[in-house]
Amino acid sequence: MAKKKARRQPAAAPEAAPDAAQLTAQDHKTLDALREMADGVVDAAGRSRPPHLDIPSRSLSNVRYNKAKRFIEMGRGTNRRELFNLSQAKSYMQTMLVGSGCKQLIQQGKTTSIRGLYYLLKHTIEGTREETFDDQADCDPIIEDVEVTLNALREELHVYASNRGSMVGNVVVNDSGDEIDCSRMGSGGYTIPSIVEPEVIRFVKVEADFVLHVEKDTVWRRFNEDKFWRKHNCILTHGQGQPPRGVRRMLHRLHHEHHLPVYCLLDNDPWGYYIYSVIKQGSINLAYESRRMAIPGARYLGLRSKDFERCSLSPSVTIKLNDNDIKRIKQIRNYPWFENKPAWKKELELMLRNGFKLEVEALISKDISYVTEQYVPARLQDEDFLD
Amino acid sequence: MSTAKSAQSGNGNGQQTPASKNGSADSAAEGQAAQVAGEAGGRRATAQSMAAKQRDISVSEFFAKNRHLLGFDNPRKALLTTVKEAVDNSLDACEEAGLVPEIWVHIEQTRPNRFKVGVQDNGPGIMKKQIPLIFGKLLYGSKFHRLRMSRGQQGIGISAAGMYGMLTTGKPVKIISKVSPRRPAHYYEIQIDTKKNVPEILNGRGDGVDIPPGEEGRKYIAEHEIEWVAEIIAPDGASSEVKSGTRVTIELEARFQRGRGSVDEYLEQTAIANPHVTLHYLDPEGNERTFHRSTTTLPPEPKEIKPHPYGIELGQLVTMLKDAKGETLTQFLTTSFSRVSPSVARNICETAKLSSRAAARRIGREEADKLFHAIQETRILAPATDCITPIGEELLLKGLHHVVPGEFYCAATRPPAVYRGNPFLIEVALAYGGASSAQRVSLDVLKQLLHESDARTLRQFLLNTFDGVGSDGAERIMKEAQIGTRQSPAKLKPSEVQRLLTAMRNVNLSEGQSMQVLRYANRVPLQFKQRDCAITESVINTNWRPYGLSQSRGSLPSGPVSVMVHIASVWVPFTSESKEAIASYPEIQKELRLGLQTVGRKLGMYLRRRNKVKQEGERRNIFLRYLGEVAGAVSQLNGASREELYQQLLEVAKRKTAQADVKLDDRGRPIGEEDEEDFGGNVLIVPPADPGPLPNAAGPQRPAGERTATTQSTQRQLF
Repeated sequence: MAKKKARRQPAAAPEAAPDAAQLTAQDHKTLDALREMADGVVDAAGRSRPPHLDIPSRSLSNVRYNKAKRFIEMGRGTNRRELFNLSQAKSYMQTMLVGSGCKQLIQQGKTTSIRGLYYLLKHTIEGTREETFDDQADCDPIIEDVEVTLNALREELHVYASNRGSMVGNVVVNDSGDEIDCSRMGSGGYTIPSIVEPEVIRFVKVEADFVLHVEKDTVWRRFNEDKFWRKHNCILTHGQGQPPRGVRRMLHRLHHEHHLPVYCLLDNDPWGYYIYSVIKQGSINLAYESRRMAIPGARYLGLRSKDFERCSLSPSVTIKLNDNDIKRIKQIRNYPWFENKPAWKKELELMLRNGFKLEVEALISKDISYVTEQYVPARLQDEDFLD
Repeated sequence: MSTAKSAQSGNGNGQQTPASKNGSADSAAEGQAAQVAGEAGGRRATAQSMAAKQRDISVSEFFAKNRHLLGFDNPRKALLTTVKEAVDNSLDACEEAGLVPEIWVHIEQTRPNRFKVGVQDNGPGIMKKQIPLIFGKLLYGSKFHRLRMSRGQQGIGISAAGMYGMLTTGKPVKIISKVSPRRPAHYYEIQIDTKKNVPEILNGRGDGVDIPPGEEGRKYIAEHEIEWVAEIIAPDGASSEVKSGTRVTIELEARFQRGRGSVDEYLEQTAIANPHVTLHYLDPEGNERTFHRSTTTLPPEPKEIKPHPYGIELGQLVTMLKDAKGETLTQFLTTSFSRVSPSVARNICETAKLSSRAAARRIGREEADKLFHAIQETRILAPATDCITPIGEELLLKGLHHVVPGEFYCAATRPPAVYRGNPFLIEVALAYGGASSAQRVSLDVLKQLLHESDARTLRQFLLNTFDGVGSDGAERIMKEAQIGTRQSPAKLKPSEVQRLLTAMRNVNLSEGQSMQVLRYANRVPLQFKQRDCAITESVINTNWRPYGLSQSRGSLPSGPVSVMVHIASVWVPFTSESKEAIASYPEIQKELRLGLQTVGRKLGMYLRRRNKVKQEGERRNIFLRYLGEVAGAVSQLNGASREELYQQLLEVAKRKTAQADVKLDDRGRPIGEEDEEDFGGNVLIVPPADPGPLPNAAGPQRPAGERTATTQSTQRQLF
């Protein structure tokens, strides 16, 4: 490490110099938390105790469905990570490294992607041939660990995920000082950044009546091309499958700050159901962020299992359920947040009975614009949603 | 010497020797048969005509036809059997006379497929009158009629070898024997008359030749080209005269081959089990190899015992009763058997409802049957077991360490047990690991070896030079080194030599190697019929997995392990006359299992401990590796001193790893203090740092000096 260290030392040196960027109150809070984490190590070592970290556990066993708030919350369970444990020593070291990396970012007032942080911290351990991180997959969960341990959001650590998902509609936002009119974004739409906190994005003008979230970019394009959002005065978003944090946070803010209903148009398959579940109740992995992400008021607009008959689709556009799908359906059926919803139970039962799944694109077999001109308007008119 | 007599002695053994099938029915029966034949007409043969052909079969004729029964089924095995019989006899003779054995084995090729085998010892020599009978008559010897632990049992072996030589080459057996340096040596050239099973002496007008002692004799020996080694050369170079001894030379049709079941292997294994023997071996290719003794202490003399009543069979009992002189039954029982006291004899007689004062000779068939059953029902002490002399754990270790390279050795001698009234004893020794000599060679030595080698290809070089490198191993080494197989060893570039050395160090040669089982019966290695042997069966049936070896069902465990199993008994139950496999008596199987488990447990302890030492090292390493990073990150986070923190963490790490070592073994189970005790003796651990003997281009010869088998001190060093 000697060489690397030597090179990194000057970079770290400015930490002492106050010429670093202006630190916000939030930054100070995060830095304090990081320092506290380090103090724990010094303290333990001073008392000749093996140092350890208690990291809130991010597993199904440690999440709980809060019936009152109607989203998934993280439990109190923690996993202890010890330095002097053969299987944990490396991840302990990595956790500390991520902490120090975040401190650098905050002090210099810069943000980087999780990949950037990975490169920032990756080097050969002194005197060995071992790398601190073998690949990014090594690093990502550690970043999440640091988030939950410090109870700090990713943005607060100055780390962001890659941008994914677009938005278009009657809304004007101010993104880091630039005013953006999302009704004039052409065919590509406004790319939703991964950090959608009020410090970065302010809503200047929100004139839409509701939000329509679609699963995929291809469907979104159909809607955009048909100027569906203009006709129905809505905001149109997509999240390229499982929506990233930025998209979820954007939906959350639009829903909570501007009271726009959120409707989801997803594939009629277990994966689509799960996406809906994540948008509505939050995900297991990011349960600690549910309060900022989950939208309990979201509604499921389509596709429904009954659409095969309702829209009289051809059997050739169906996709047979595979074993994995069936397993997944049964799993979803047992989620506590689906438990007391007879409509959903029926929906899932019907899918099992059908034995096939439907993609939104299947509606194109009726007509290219069937989905925008008939299907969605009809659902909106009938208010035929699943909760 | 009538054939009938020798045949009878064969019967007494209960073996399938050819009793003369003299179907000479009485004349009345013959007459009747003739009548019947006459009536039927056109019969192919009559009883009379058949009777004309019915006659004695000599034991030698029988074995001449059935040579496979004695281990002469193919030319390769014939060579081995010949060497083996001669060496076994020599060792028996030396030990019985209390002389430290020095054996010479010379094999010389005289023609294609024809070899001359000469085996000489420094034993007591043989009296002139006995020489022709011992070497020229089947089933003649001292060992059959007694119950005493010895290598030979029957008195067939060496004379059968001579007979085989005579049959295949027509050359006589040459024997020279000397009883004392002052007395003349006797020189005989002998043939067997197979029809009569009697020796025919060819030289000295049927009387043999006496070679006078001293200078005169030496001249005579030289003139007549008689082979005789006159001097013993000790490892330190000192020479001394061979004062007495016997040499037998047999020329036979044979094939010389190395590898499994070869003479080389036999001699090597003999050296393991007989650490008091020095073997000089000259092979047909002219290579001389000497196995030096590692002790001059002879094994204690085995005692002769009387048969135990439980081991006797009804027929045998009847014969013994008939042979009894005017004794009472009690006297007969107490004198003919071991462990029968007068009170036991009385008990037997009472159970059999026979008078204890009855004359033994007059006991009839039915009464004998009763007596036989009474013996089985009476409680009789197990036979005395001091008649068996084990090799001993210490010598087993020495012997095994001498010949099998390894890092861990242990041995166990079981207490004697009894099968069918015969005492026996099982000894087991085990050698583990030991990097092949290929992994220990240094760069300079490798360069020299490459330079000296006359092998044409590198592959051949690897195979011939290093122990434990098979063709598979050689292949892998060359692949790893990225050197072509056909490359000439002398023409390697320095960079290639370096690569070769690295590859030799790195390739795991022990992978896929299965356990080597060395079987011995009364110190004689058994080399054939491994699968039929009770020893192999027991090794396979033992579960070696708890002892840290991998083993698939129904096969030998794998790993760099050699196991040596010795069964010592006054009567070793072989499955056949050629003495190749042990019969599976339940008592023997049980003892084998217990012996194997004893060494297995020790091996398991060693392997676990070795793993632990390795793991501890690794663990400390892992911590040390990350401590620097952690200290660096923390100091960056809160400005603490990196160095100070690092030192503090280092302290914690040391304490923590030391703690963990004490508390847990590799399976995470707490280790009690008692487990930290030693192996209970008779364990030899060779520290891996030991560079060991360097490989010799001529062959796997181990210097004699490095046998310093201390059991406990090296072990303490390691742990």
